[in-house]
Amino acid sequence: MLTPEQLKEILKENVINLRFHARGGQGGVTASNLCVEAFYGFGVCQPKFGAERMGSPTESYVRLSAHDELVRSNEQVYAPHAVAVLDPSLLGEIDVTAGLVPGGWLIVNTTLDQISLQTIVGRKDINIATIDALGIAMEILGRNITNTIILGALIRVIPIFSMDALANAIMRRFKGSIAAKNVEAIKRAHEETCIYETKGAPQLDFTVDTKIPWQQVSPGLPGFKEIDDAGVWYCDEQVIEMGSGQVNTGSWGEYDIIWDEEKCTDCGMCWYICPDFAIVREKGDDGLWHMTGIDSYHCKSCQNCLEICPVDAISKKLKQGPAACAVPEE
Amino acid sequence: MSIEPMKMFFKEIKEPIETTMIGNYAVAGAVTQTDPDVICAFPITPQTQSVEGLSDVVNQGRLKAAFVNVESELAAISYSTAASAAGARAFTATASQGYLLMTEALPMAVGWRLPLTMMISARAFNSPNLSIWNTWEYTEVNSELGWNIIVSENVQETYDAAILSVMIADESLFPTIFVHDGFIISHSVQKLTLIPDEIVLRMTPKKPRHTIDPSKPGTWGGIVTPDYFMEGRARLEEAKKPVLNQMTEAFKKFKSETGREYNLIETYNLDNSSKTAFCTMGSMAGNIISWMYKNKDVGLIKIRAYRPFPYEELRRIVEEHGIEKLILLEKSDSLNGMLPPFSMSVATALYPLKTIFRSFIVGLGGRDVTRDEFDVAKKKMESVNDMKGKLYSYLGVRESKQKIYGT
Repeated sequence: MLTPEQLKEILKENVINLRFHARGGQGGVTASNLCVEAFYGFGVCQPKFGAERMGSPTESYVRLSAHDELVRSNEQVYAPHAVAVLDPSLLGEIDVTAGLVPGGWLIVNTTLDQISLQTIVGRKDINIATIDALGIAMEILGRNITNTIILGALIRVIPIFSMDALANAIMRRFKGSIAAKNVEAIKRAHEETCIYETKGAPQLDFTVDTKIPWQQVSPGLPGFKEIDDAGVWYCDEQVIEMGSGQVNTGSWGEYDIIWDEEKCTDCGMCWYICPDFAIVREKGDDGLWHMTGIDSYHCKSCQNCLEICPVDAISKKLKQGPAACAVPEE
Repeated sequence: MSIEPMKMFFKEIKEPIETTMIGNYAVAGAVTQTDPDVICAFPITPQTQSVEGLSDVVNQGRLKAAFVNVESELAAISYSTAASAAGARAFTATASQGYLLMTEALPMAVGWRLPLTMMISARAFNSPNLSIWNTWEYTEVNSELGWNIIVSENVQETYDAAILSVMIADESLFPTIFVHDGFIISHSVQKLTLIPDEIVLRMTPKKPRHTIDPSKPGTWGGIVTPDYFMEGRARLEEAKKPVLNQMTEAFKKFKSETGREYNLIETYNLDNSSKTAFCTMGSMAGNIISWMYKNKDVGLIKIRAYRPFPYEELRRIVEEHGIEKLILLEKSDSLNGMLPPFSMSVATALYPLKTIFRSFIVGLGGRDVTRDEFDVAKKKMESVNDMKGKLYSYLGVRESKQKIYGT
């Protein structure tokens, strides 16, 4: 691991890139914002630009350096030196180590051990740190908010700025008692971080660039000679490889929606109100449509169906697993 | 909210404060400090937070301005124009389709010499598909109507531009647009230094030329016959002549108060070995500056004042530094027009010098512009020695699943 002094020396002529993975509403952007605020030199934080929705996977990037010209770029971050994952349910859904520079750090809010994590991400050239941020959050903050806490683990493995600088940034950003509690939680996280330096992983080299040439152009998708020349996306053609049908909106929600076949009268009200076509039905031999279930891959548990069902055939159950729910900032 | 983005501006800023902020809130803060009387805008991504932030400071009682909700961008610009004509300091903001909807009312603010300011978070027009992301749409339409346009690279610049625009608009009595790239700057958190309120107010004193006086009635924009219309236009042309100088004066005054230096055109590393320079505007200039850290054999010309276009200054710079080749990068196209709009302006300015150039269309609809584009553009330019053939091409676009165009 690098000492604060070594890192300070490196950042005079180099940039450190960070990437945060979270779900919409968990405060990934706030975490990256705090990095820029706490850092002594120049810094930029960018969300992955787009429409963020509650519960959907989000990314945000941070670029820090003591040299102003180096962070003047407005490029997105392609080669992070550390990746922080605020929500462990993202691990199976997103390639969180994409572009992570060999010798870099993956920091995850989880109670899983590092060996299991290494198996999930399939990388042996990176180091891993884990922190039970959820546990700390519930104990100190009383709520599932992990965005600040993970920063305590981050600066434990990569000391880009001091704990005091981070505490100051938080005191500036948050109000009274919330600020103090967050600082307490971060200090706990700093102590309780489990560090696993992979044997044989290379030394973190800040001159290595892992950006794949033309990555930003998404090679492999249809080019301008292959798409419709009026911008029309026909539903019966398989041109759209990134259409909304591919998006696992089912991972966004807090609840599993349960359908009771016994009570259901096939009235179809839920089918009409569902915004994601997640109510599955089939045409029977009698020529009528019958409900057959719920498409959990697309159901984001908005609960409209639950509200509208006249016979209480639909119910909800809190999802299992750690921190699968998105918590709004209040 | 545990985080209040506009908190900084709820009370008087007494000394320069270094903070971090997204571009839109920074603009909202700067506008707050210039003490506008009327704020009237219609929300559109990616401009929204600028107006949302202003509604917050008005709600807090920090700003004694009329915050007016309207039903469309056309209403917003019409209301702002009228407020400005009545002597109020007015601010509005828009992007993309909203800018198009404003078009009908845009010439009036120019013709009536109104010191109105407007922020644009540059976003693509919907064609063929809807996009909420960055394209230089402001270069594609309305740029010849006579609004002043200044372009910013980062959050600090767009914060400063909000104040500079008021200075420029008040001095020139022409409405002024300041632009930043949508999302790339509007939604990025960057460090910036806020200017104390006292200094902002000193730089932007209210000196309304227009008032509503019942004892002296008049007609705005009444019809004239061919006997008069052309004289009216020539009168505007005369009035527009000193604007670039007025901008320069505003930049000088701004520097003496804040220490931050701005120019109509800014240059980097022009005395390089290849006598080649990139020429562009906005956030992309930052990308190039970072890339130039390891590519010291090219330079950069960054245009800040897009309208009026500082063609004499550009000529002087290119001539003085002996620049032989220019690589124009722009985020707009014109579909088989002679050149895309930004390049057209640069090419016209440089016509007498016969500088060799090629124009590259990059980053449309929010596509990231990276070192790949700069490397290829630079390499392509090495073998260009004349002005024959097509002068522009797309760069960073997929031709097919297997092939990236032009590489």
